[in-house]
Amino acid sequence: MADPIALALREQFHSAEQQHETSTVGMWIFLITEVMLFGGLFTAFSVYRMSHPAAFDQGSADMEFWMGAVNTAVLICSSFCMAMAVHSAEKGKNGRLALFLILTILIGLVFLGIKFTEYYLHYHDQKLPGILFHDTSPDAAYVQMFFVFYFLMTGLHAFHMIIGEGILCATLFRTLLGSFSERYHTPVELAGLYWHFVDTVWVFLFAIFYIPGAHMK
Amino acid sequence: MSQSSVSVKTYAFTLIALLALTLLTSLLGLVDLGKFSFIAGVAIAAVKASLIACFFMHALYETKLIRVIMAGGVIWFLVMISLTLGDYLTRGWMPYPGK
Repeated sequence: MADPIALALREQFHSAEQQHETSTVGMWIFLITEVMLFGGLFTAFSVYRMSHPAAFDQGSADMEFWMGAVNTAVLICSSFCMAMAVHSAEKGKNGRLALFLILTILIGLVFLGIKFTEYYLHYHDQKLPGILFHDTSPDAAYVQMFFVFYFLMTGLHAFHMIIGEGILCATLFRTLLGSFSERYHTPVELAGLYWHFVDTVWVFLFAIFYIPGAHMK
Repeated sequence: MSQSSVSVKTYAFTLIALLALTLLTSLLGLVDLGKFSFIAGVAIAAVKASLIACFFMHALYETKLIRVIMAGGVIWFLVMISLTLGDYLTRGWMPYPGK
């Protein structure tokens, strides 16, 4: 079989190193735009939280705290598997790469399963803002606002996870086709960067939504 | 380039540190720290995010160009949130002193 790196080097690049660095820079710039996307939401959340701390604590107390905590651990484990997948790719061990990609995908699905179970429980508790929301406290309007942020931000995160699952499946498919080697595995690294970024976002989401009201249960 | 290859041991320690910090955040959440539970939660999250970026995302092993891009993202985010909150907090619209 022809050397994959010779096939993968595009004519506009001087060398494989230059091509690799260009791809990595491109991915990081994309991730920075994602930081700005989620950053705007975090900023808006902070403003509302500081304006109505009691209502936001009350909303936070309605979270399924332990499901959130377990989900954080689950996502960290999937990130670890992804890091191991990149490590295997660097060593040119394609069998292990495929195995770790499958593990990452499966653990990611566990995360999504737990997340959607939580959504179902919120639906059951009548906590869907604007559609089905039941709260008799005087601060109900702002508790509802908390849930607007909750569904918007965790929903956007879950959407990123679903896209990530697609990217990982495509990467797995290419791995099985033998597209990667010790010398060329940039797509695996870039998929890894995306996956770790999505993990990082969740770490913050867990901190802002689940922690403040956890002791009130 | 990130080819310097981080060792499996480093990844394993990062995993253990991240899980330990998750446990710590969860236990902190169960204690009533008042306003500080939010701040403590976000602070621990920032430490976890740094660990993920440094080791899982190889930030420590990247070229200067890529590190400048990362720093740029973090700095612009901090500008956005600090100027916005600075404005809101000093107008007396919020239940905090210092109007």
